[in-house]
Amino acid sequence: MSQTDAEAVTTTANRTDGEAVSTTAGETVEETRPEWTSYEAGGETKLAVENLDVHYGDDHALTDVSMDIPEQSVTALIGPSGCGKSTFLRCLNRMNDRIRAANVDGTVELDGEDVYQDGVDLVELRKRVGMVFQSPNPFPKSIRENVSYGPRKHGDIDTGLLARLTGRAEPGREEALVERSLERAALWEEVRDRLDDNALGLSGGQQQRLCIARCLAVDPEVILMDEPASALDPIATSKIEDLIEDLAQDYTVVVVTHSMQQAARVSDQTAVFLTGGELVEYDDTEKIFENPESQRVEDYISGKFG
Amino acid sequence: MSLTTPRTDWRAGIERRLTRTREFVDDTDPEALAVVLASMGSLVAAFFGFLLASAWTAVPLGAFLIATGYGWVRHQALVARAVSFAMTTVTLVTLGLIVVFIFVESIPAFRYETTSVFGVSVPGLGMFAQTRWDAVSEPVRYSLLPMIHGTVMVTAIATLVAAPIGVAAALFIAEIASLRVRELVKPGIEVLAGIPSIVYGFIGFTVINPWASGAFALNGGSTYLFVGMVVGLMALPTVVSVAEDALTSVPDVMKNGSLALGATDWQSMISITLPAAFSGVSAAVLLGVGRAIGETMAATVMLAGIPRISDPLVNVFYGYETLTSLIARGYGSANGVHESALFVAGVVLFVTVLCLSIASQYIEARMRRRLGGAE
Amino acid sequence: MSRATQNALVRDDRTAYETVTGTAVGLSGAAFAVGLTALLDVVAIDYSVAGLELSVAFGAVLLALGVSVVGFGMASRLGYVDAAPQPSAGIVAAVAFTGIWFAVGAVVSGAAGLGTGGRLGVGTVLGGIAFATTALPREDVGSTAPAGALAGLCGLSLVSGVVGPGWEQVLVGYNATLFGDTVVPVLVLFASLVTGWSAAKAYGGFGARGRNVGAYVLIYLVVCSILAVLVGLVAFVTVKGLPGLFNGFGVGGAGLVRWPFLTNGAGLLADIAGVFPALVGTVWLVIGAVLFAVPTGVGAAVFLSEYAEQGRFTGAVEVATNGLWSTPSIVFGLFGAAFLIPRFGNQKSLIAGMLTLGFMLLPLVLITSREAILAVPDEYRDASAALGVSKWQTIRSVVLPAAIPGITTGVILGVGRIAGETAPILLTMGGGVLPGKSAAPDVLGSFQLSASPPFVSNPALLEATSALPYQLYALITAGLSGNIQNPQEYAWGLALTLLLVVLAFYAVGIATRYYFRKKLHQ
Repeated sequence: MSQTDAEAVTTTANRTDGEAVSTTAGETVEETRPEWTSYEAGGETKLAVENLDVHYGDDHALTDVSMDIPEQSVTALIGPSGCGKSTFLRCLNRMNDRIRAANVDGTVELDGEDVYQDGVDLVELRKRVGMVFQSPNPFPKSIRENVSYGPRKHGDIDTGLLARLTGRAEPGREEALVERSLERAALWEEVRDRLDDNALGLSGGQQQRLCIARCLAVDPEVILMDEPASALDPIATSKIEDLIEDLAQDYTVVVVTHSMQQAARVSDQTAVFLTGGELVEYDDTEKIFENPESQRVEDYISGKFG
Repeated sequence: MSLTTPRTDWRAGIERRLTRTREFVDDTDPEALAVVLASMGSLVAAFFGFLLASAWTAVPLGAFLIATGYGWVRHQALVARAVSFAMTTVTLVTLGLIVVFIFVESIPAFRYETTSVFGVSVPGLGMFAQTRWDAVSEPVRYSLLPMIHGTVMVTAIATLVAAPIGVAAALFIAEIASLRVRELVKPGIEVLAGIPSIVYGFIGFTVINPWASGAFALNGGSTYLFVGMVVGLMALPTVVSVAEDALTSVPDVMKNGSLALGATDWQSMISITLPAAFSGVSAAVLLGVGRAIGETMAATVMLAGIPRISDPLVNVFYGYETLTSLIARGYGSANGVHESALFVAGVVLFVTVLCLSIASQYIEARMRRRLGGAE
Repeated sequence: MSRATQNALVRDDRTAYETVTGTAVGLSGAAFAVGLTALLDVVAIDYSVAGLELSVAFGAVLLALGVSVVGFGMASRLGYVDAAPQPSAGIVAAVAFTGIWFAVGAVVSGAAGLGTGGRLGVGTVLGGIAFATTALPREDVGSTAPAGALAGLCGLSLVSGVVGPGWEQVLVGYNATLFGDTVVPVLVLFASLVTGWSAAKAYGGFGARGRNVGAYVLIYLVVCSILAVLVGLVAFVTVKGLPGLFNGFGVGGAGLVRWPFLTNGAGLLADIAGVFPALVGTVWLVIGAVLFAVPTGVGAAVFLSEYAEQGRFTGAVEVATNGLWSTPSIVFGLFGAAFLIPRFGNQKSLIAGMLTLGFMLLPLVLITSREAILAVPDEYRDASAALGVSKWQTIRSVVLPAAIPGITTGVILGVGRIAGETAPILLTMGGGVLPGKSAAPDVLGSFQLSASPPFVSNPALLEATSALPYQLYALITAGLSGNIQNPQEYAWGLALTLLLVVLAFYAVGIATRYYFRKKLHQ
């Protein structure tokens, strides 16, 4: 399905839904459509979030969020801006720790281990839970160095002077890793001849795929993506979307997006956050977009607010 | 790329400017124009009057004040623009005057120290080709080499102190400290910059020198070692604040990208932030070196004031003289060629520090371009 | 991509290991602090601690630290604790230890009487061993063994008394002698720094986290030292200066407050010598410099950021401004002497000093004002322009008021900086060493009109005048002596007065910044 087709279909579907609602009386609708209560996603649970509350000083950014994110699938987080979806994403690899005023309560379990318990090794956590940011942020280094940055920092690859002197360097391993990661991120063909060029010379879409390759090189289990295509043009966006679907075969992908079409296209399940940092509904993507339980989600999806 | 030669570009530029000026003159109220012309003309006249040390300078100055005052009431916008332009040229004029005056004053010494090389007489070469400075007893020679040696010694030690400590402190303020700690440390560094150099010198003279004299059984208490350390402390705030600016200008997203890959804070600083800000940090060190070279009072008060090169060359336990202290100590009692030789020392200082300043500006501009491209 | 292993998020319990290594870091810090006090002669190294000479006690502590640091590495290497060492300690550590051990070898063999060749030889051998020990084994051994050995060696030499009180070494040809009194504390400082770093790495479990902890320990130490130096300097000058400053101070009497140090001159008639003329001189100096530089600098900043188009002219002005900013103060002095003095009666004068400092202040004002004006958001200008307000009206009623906080702060800090300058006024303004009260300039009362050019004159501006920093310099060059009761006390009081004047400007400047920032965030 091409992008425009998908968009057309979703919008029509939404519009008919929306009209259907608006024809019925507003008050009764809420009674006939109870708020969503719980959802059991299929497959093994990778991340289990339990009663997560986040405050920034006096501001409540997330209110009592609980959800299970299944393994090897794409989970989309949607909602209006300021609804806490990015905050939620940043809780999963504790990037919120960088913001000093942030106050986190509740548990986030990765394979049954709470990431917020005392003594958690953030290095280990972030190796297992990778992240791709909103705007592409490659390091001002060569493409090769960008990809091998993580493994180098973790001591898995060492091509430093000392390692070369003592014969510990394995240049072949670095080459293989760079090629594998770039290939997995669908970038290899485009950059194979200029691995030593500065990464800042790539186009926006290429930069973002490089950031994904950089993340894959650390061999994570979960990949968090914070609006990965919001700064890109439509063609680059569709490439990223294809890539996300493809990655879900091996990885657990959680993607925040402000584009409902994108969520509908790439995700297996979708969580809708609304203002106040509240998780309003979480279900299979099809269900969310075609027949949501909650009236507010219905309104949001049909474009009535948000 | 257009194929027009620079000359036609230049001519077109002049023509464009002429047209614009003509339009401007046509559009402006003639009275306003006259007032502004009178004001600016009398200012220029006052400047030249002052330059020629004429007692009549007060007349055009008064005319300037009257014309400007009148114009300020009647045609404020135009006068404000003209006066602010005149003020802008003051920086350029000042720099130009400094160059002209200290160069002119140094000419006699350059003449006196003319030495011939391969039959060609080079003025001033004698100040750098032998090592004797003696303004009193024959042969009277004015070599700057001993003082240059002293300045190099002090600056080297100061840089060894200020550069690593300054960069570490900048990293702390920009990357490590919490908001509250930063609000405490930053003003602290500023205050350190504010302590007058003569106070440092006074402490050095009354406390450090006597202590060093006893602790190392020295012949007198002057040492390049401790002068260098004190000067390093004085150059430190410059390094910290400029380097901190450079570090904070590195976009946060870059650092977050590194942290999200599981790198530690220290790894992110060393492999991402510091390399990205490298030009800015080196500009900071250059400016710090410039401060150390130009530091006068602590060196004057703490050094022995003997124009001699220490033996061995790197002996930090001697403290003879630097370029700055030579001027501060000698000016006033010197006259004739001796005074002129002090101006040569000033020229050497001025040119060195100006080069450092321009180099650091170039480096910073390059960094800004590079980081700008990253966004 | 298949995952071979999945690492747990939480490491095995390392509480005991962390306690021990943390204690070692703390002990190193304590040794560093005590070593510093010994270096500053606060305690003597033969001072007896629990029956031991301080230097021997130092040795014992260093020895213990050295042994435990090696132990930390071995415990990790042999797998008793769960750490994450990398394959090697890295090139930086390797080079550093090579250099240190090379120096140790050269110094020790030199002390043992070997010639230059022998010293180089021993140094090279030890450096080579250190390089191999650091670079080849895993990180946990590589970053502890050379450090521990170094601390152990220092400790041994202190315990055995090879280096201790009464030890001395003549540096032949250097005109200097090293004594135990300075060498022992320096050894302690250095060795405790090395063990502190090494133990901190062990605390973090080596690897990336260990390096993080190790680096942070060093950086915190640096920052604490800077703050300590700052506080120490100010406190030292305050303590030394208070007796002079408050000499004869009293409340009540004829005036409300009697403060002779600030209100008297230093002449023979004054019962208590004071700094009144210099204080007044500094006040006038600052006023003159501000009157010249602030309007000029602000005006130039307005022109550069509001009127001028970016081009060669603005570029040149920018380079000139930054060049002036970094021009050494003594060069300004030379310039003032060559340019201003011939034009103001051929002698050092107050007005020459004012203008020289004004030239110095100009780039500071220009740079900060320009930053402040550029920080005013463009929306303000656009909004004003959209209302049909002329450019100058916009600048006057929108841009300048919004930029005032930044300009004020910059001006105050700049003034604080030039108020303490000595070098320029040394060449242009002069003044006496111990001026009497009558030498204080009376600028306002000295204006005279005359019929011949320049029509207005002011003798007070044309006389050599003393200022606080210059008077302190003059006192020092006079060997801290003079026709007053206690020149030493007088000089410290003067230094404190100068420091307080300058710090007052800084305090006001920083407070202004906080005030405006708070107002902005409300």
